Amino acid sequence: MCNCDNTYIPIPMKVEKIVIDNPDRSLRTYDLSFVNEEDENKFKYMPGQFCEFSILGKGESPFGIASSPTEEGLKFTVSRTGSVTNEIHYLEEGDIVGIRGPMGNWYPLEKLKGQDVVIVGGGFAFTTLRSMIVYMLENRDDYGKITVIYGARHPDLFIYKEELKIWDKRDDIILHLTVDKPVKGWDKLCGFVPAITKDVKPDPTSWCIVCGPPIMIKFTLPVLLEIGFAHDKIYTSLERRMKCGIGKCGRCGIGSKYVCIDGPVFSYEELKKIPDAF
Amino acid sequence: MVKIKKTELNEFIEFLMKDYDVYSPADVGKKAAFKKIKSAFEIKHAITNTHLSPKDVFFPQSEVLFQYSDDGLKVPKREEKAIAVWGMRNCDTSSLLMLNKVFGDAHQMPDKDMYKDPYWKMKYDNCLIFNQACNEPLSTCFCNWFEGNPFAKKGADIFVVDTGDHFILEGISDKGKTFLSKYKAGEETTKVDLNKIAKLKETAESYLPDVVDIKPLFNKMNKIWDEPIWEEISAKCINCGACTFVCPTCHCFDVSDEGKGKKGQRIRLWDSCMFQIFTREASGHNPRGLSTQRVRQRIMHKYNYFMDNYEQYLCTGCGRCVQVCPVNLDIREVIKKVLDYKLSKNEEI
Amino acid sequence: MQQLVKKVKEIIKNKEVDVVIGWGRGSLPFSATPIFVETEKDVEKLIFDETCRNNLTTYLTKDKRRISKEYKKIGIIVKGCDSRSVVLYTVENQIKRENVVLIGVPCNGVFEKKKLSQLVEGKEILDFQIDVDNIIIKGRNFEQTHPLKDALCDPCLTCQYPDAPEYDYFIGTPRKDVNVPDAYKMINDFGEKSAEERWAYIQEEYSKCIRCYACRNICPSCYCPECFVDQNDPQWIGKTPEVTDSIIFHLIRNLHVAGRCVDCGACVSACPVDLDLRIMSKKVEKEIKERFDYTAGTDINEKPAMASYCENEKQDFIMG
Ligand SMILES: Cc1cc2nc3c(=O)[nH]c(=O)nc-3n(C[C@H](O)[C@H](O)[C@H](O)COP(=O)(O)OP(=O)(O)OC[C@H]3O[C@@H](n4cnc5c(N)ncnc54)[C@H](O)[C@@H]3O)c2cc1C
Ligand code: SF4
Ligand code: SF4
Ligand code: SF4
Ligand code: SF4
Ligand code: SF4
Ligand code: SF4
Ligand code: FES
Repeated sequence: MCNCDNTYIPIPMKVEKIVIDNPDRSLRTYDLSFVNEEDENKFKYMPGQFCEFSILGKGESPFGIASSPTEEGLKFTVSRTGSVTNEIHYLEEGDIVGIRGPMGNWYPLEKLKGQDVVIVGGGFAFTTLRSMIVYMLENRDDYGKITVIYGARHPDLFIYKEELKIWDKRDDIILHLTVDKPVKGWDKLCGFVPAITKDVKPDPTSWCIVCGPPIMIKFTLPVLLEIGFAHDKIYTSLERRMKCGIGKCGRCGIGSKYVCIDGPVFSYEELKKIPDAF
Repeated sequence: MVKIKKTELNEFIEFLMKDYDVYSPADVGKKAAFKKIKSAFEIKHAITNTHLSPKDVFFPQSEVLFQYSDDGLKVPKREEKAIAVWGMRNCDTSSLLMLNKVFGDAHQMPDKDMYKDPYWKMKYDNCLIFNQACNEPLSTCFCNWFEGNPFAKKGADIFVVDTGDHFILEGISDKGKTFLSKYKAGEETTKVDLNKIAKLKETAESYLPDVVDIKPLFNKMNKIWDEPIWEEISAKCINCGACTFVCPTCHCFDVSDEGKGKKGQRIRLWDSCMFQIFTREASGHNPRGLSTQRVRQRIMHKYNYFMDNYEQYLCTGCGRCVQVCPVNLDIREVIKKVLDYKLSKNEEI
Repeated sequence: MQQLVKKVKEIIKNKEVDVVIGWGRGSLPFSATPIFVETEKDVEKLIFDETCRNNLTTYLTKDKRRISKEYKKIGIIVKGCDSRSVVLYTVENQIKRENVVLIGVPCNGVFEKKKLSQLVEGKEILDFQIDVDNIIIKGRNFEQTHPLKDALCDPCLTCQYPDAPEYDYFIGTPRKDVNVPDAYKMINDFGEKSAEERWAYIQEEYSKCIRCYACRNICPSCYCPECFVDQNDPQWIGKTPEVTDSIIFHLIRNLHVAGRCVDCGACVSACPVDLDLRIMSKKVEKEIKERFDYTAGTDINEKPAMASYCENEKQDFIMG
C-alpha cells in the first residue's frame, strides 16, 4: 500500500467571513480558517500559489490564494462564472468547505530581495498580487521601491478597496489606480492599463509582475519590453482550465509544461519558448 | 524456466490466485479486453492485441476518489491481494512503465510525495506482470519503431512464450523469479524448447514493418509547430476521441462529483484532448478550440512534449489507434509525413 | 470509376467547386479514407467501392463547419444515405444547397469491418476479393469465402435509397428497382421478445459503452455546437460509463436525432466497442415513419418531422 499523502483529498476549512466586493455581487471574498490544527501546520505556501476549492456535489475550481503567508487562514476572491463558482456564492459564514493545496509555483520572492518591484494588475486577477504586496509590506526592508499599477473597468470593480485606501496613504508603496473610462467622483487615473504603464514608465531595471485578463497581459507586455524590461525580469501568472492540479489530468498543458505544476507563474523568458502560451 | 502444459494452465492460475487478483484478456461483449478472471478457462489466448488496452486495470475508466457523507470523506480501499496480469504484450507492458512515470514516480517534481498518485500506486506497486511473446504480430503492430519487439522482456516480471502445447515461463524481475521458484508443478525446459522459441521469435519479427528511424522526430516536431502540415494531417479527424480511449499510454482524466444532497462521490473519468470542452474555460475562452490544435496536441504530446519531460515517446506502437480510427487517420502515416516534411522556412534540422 | 474521376476533374477545372470531398484508399484492408481534393492531379486518388464507409457530409457541420468557411463551393461524393444528410442539412438551414455540388454514386452497400471480423472469428484480415455475390477473405494462414451480404453494413441490407435522392451529377447506373426486405424486421423481432429479455439485452449492450462519444462525433445529424452531455450547468446526465448513465445518454441522443437519423450506420462503425446502436435508432425511425409517415432526408421541400432541437437549446422535452 502507498503511504504517500493523498493529494486528491481536500482538507476542511471554515468560512469565517464573506465580503461582497462589488455592487453587482459577482465578486466575493472569503476568509477561511483551518478546522484542524495539523492541517494548518502542514499548509505552507507562498504568494502566487493556488488551491482547488471544493464544493462537494458540484466539483472543484482553482483559485489563487489572496492572503499572504504572514496572515492567518486563507483568503480567496471568487468571481461568479459557472457551476462551482455559483455554488461558492451561496456559501454562508460558518459553512465548511474543502481545500486542496497549496499548488503550483510562486512569484520569485527570493530573486526580488533588494530589488525594486513593479506590480501591474487588472480586474479581479489582483488576488495573488494582493498576497504578494502584503507579503512584501510585511517584510518591507527586504525589498526596494514598490510600485503598483492597478486597473479596473469601473471604480466599483476594484477588489480590496479598504486596503487600497490604506496603501494609498503609505509612503513606502506607490499606487496608481486607473479605470477604463472617466466616472463621476473618480479623481484618480483614467485609461487602460497598458497606456497607464507607458505613462508611469517604471524603471526598467526593476522586476515586474503582471497579472490580469489575457487581453491586458497581451497589450502590457509589449509596453514593458519597449520601456526596456529584461525578459527574465517580467513575470506573469497564467490561467488554464484545471482539474487535478498536480500535473496528471493533462488539461492545463501548454507545450510540454503544465500550468498547475510548472506554473502558474512563468517569466516572459520561459513563455517565449512555449508555443501556445498566449 | 518453467514449462506448463496448456491443459494444466488452470492449476497454475489457481496457484497464482492464492496471492493475486488475476486479470487477463477475455471476452467483453464482442470485443477482447482485460478483466478480472475466476479461472484459466476465461482467458482469451487467440488474440494478439486486445481491443481495449490493459491500462484500465490500473487506471480504470471511472474510479472513485472518495465518498462523502455526513460522516466525512472515505477513500475506498482495495482488497488485500495484489494484482497479477496474464497475457500482456510487450507494447502494453511498456505503456505501464510510461504511465508509472506520470502517476507513480513524479520524478520531475522536487517535493515528490505530493505528486504521487495513491490510486495508481495501490494497484501498480506489487503487481505481477506476465508478459507474453507475440507469435503473430498484427499488420498494425509497429513496436519495432520504438525499440520494442514481439519477444521483448523489458518491464516483465515473468516472460511467457506460447510454444503450441505449452507455455514456457521465465522469471525476469526478482519478484517474478521468486514467484516462479515457488511453483513446483512445472516441467523442465529442454534444448528443443529453446530452439522452438528462437524460431517463433524469428517468424514473429518477420511480420513487423520496416523500422522507421524516429529519433529525429522530436527535433522535427520542435520546428513544425506553426507549419501548415497540421491542417493537412488533421483535416479528416472528426475529434471522436476513440484513439485516445483505446491508447494504452493516454492518461488524461476529468474529475466529476456525483450525488444527491450530502451524500455522493467524487470520481475521475478518462477524458481526451480530442474533445473541444477539454480546455474550454468558464469565460468561453478556449486555447485549443480548433480541431487542428487538438490533433496537434495529441501528436505533439506523444512525440515531443512527453520526451521533453520523461525522455521517451508516449507511444508504444501497439497500433490500436490505427485500428479504431473511423476515418483512418493512421498515426504511422502521420509520423512518416512529419519526418518527410520540408520546412517552409528552410530551416536546418 | 473512370467516369467519376473524369467528372470531378471537370468540375475542379472549370472552378465549379473549390474542393471535392471523396474517398481515397486507406491504409488498412477494408478501409477507405476521406480525402479533400483540390487539384486535378489529386483527383486520381479518388476511389469508390464497398470500402467507402464514411458519410462525408459530416464534414460540412460541427467543428468542421470550418470547411464551409474555408471553401465557397464544396463538392461531395455521396451515396444514398449521404445524400439524405445533405437534404437534412438543407431543410434544417445548416447549409445553402447551392453551395454544395453533389456527385451521386450508385451504392451496392458498404462493408462493416466488424461483421467481417466476426465472420473470420476475429482473425486479422489482410486482403479480400469480391467474386459476384461472394467475398473471399484472406489472412496470414487462411482464406474463406462468405456471401457478400454477410459482410455489408446492416443499414445497407435494408436500404431503400441506394441512389442518392438528391444530386447534381450522377455517375454510373442507378440501381432504382431495389427490392428491400422488411426494413423493420429486426425491430419487430426484437419487439416479440419479452420485456425482461429486451431490457436484459439493452442493459448488456449499453453497459459496454465507454462514453467516448465517437458515435456522436461522427454522426452527420449530431451537429449541435454544444451537446447536452457536455453541459455542466445544469448537468443533464452523469458522465460515468455506468449503464444507467449510458442508457440515458443514448436515449436522449436518439431523441435528438429522431426523424433526423438517415440510418447511415456511421455511428455503429465508429463505436470502438461494437455497441448495437441501431436497436434504438431504428426503433425511433420506425415510430416516426408510422406516426408521421416521414423518412428523414428524402424530400428537400418537406419540413422536418420534428423541429431541430439544437436551435433552441435546453429543451424541456427532456424533462417532460
Ligand atoms: C491558477 C488559477 C488561479 C485562478 N484564480 C482565480 C481567482 O483568484 N478568482 C477567480 O474568480 N477565478 C480564478 N481562476 C479562474 C477560476 O478557476 C474559474 O473561473 C473557475 O474554475 C470557473 O469554474 P466554474 O465551475 O464556476 O465554471 P464552469 O464553466 O462551470 O467550469 C467547470 C469546470 O471547469 C474548470 N474551469 C473552467 N474555467 C476554468 C478556468 N478559467 N481556470 C481553471 N479551471 C476552469 C473547473 O474545473 C470547473 O470546475 C483561476 C484559475 C486558475 C487556473
Ligand atoms: S506491437 Fe509488438 S509487442 Fe505489441 S502486440 Fe504487436 S508485436 Fe506484440
Ligand atoms: S498512439 Fe496509437 S500506436 Fe501509439 S500507443 Fe497509443 S494506441 Fe498504440
Ligand atoms: S493529452 Fe491527448 S494524447 Fe496526451 S495523454 Fe492526454 S489524451 Fe493522450
Ligand atoms: S480516432 Fe481518428 S477521428 Fe477519432 S479523434 Fe482519433 S484521429 Fe480523430
Ligand atoms: S445516428 Fe448513426 S445512423 Fe443515424 S445518422 Fe447518425 S451516424 Fe448515421
Ligand atoms: S461510440 Fe460506442 S463506446 Fe463510444 S460513446 Fe458511442 S456507443 Fe459508447
Ligand atoms: S490540472 Fe491536471 S495536469 Fe494541470
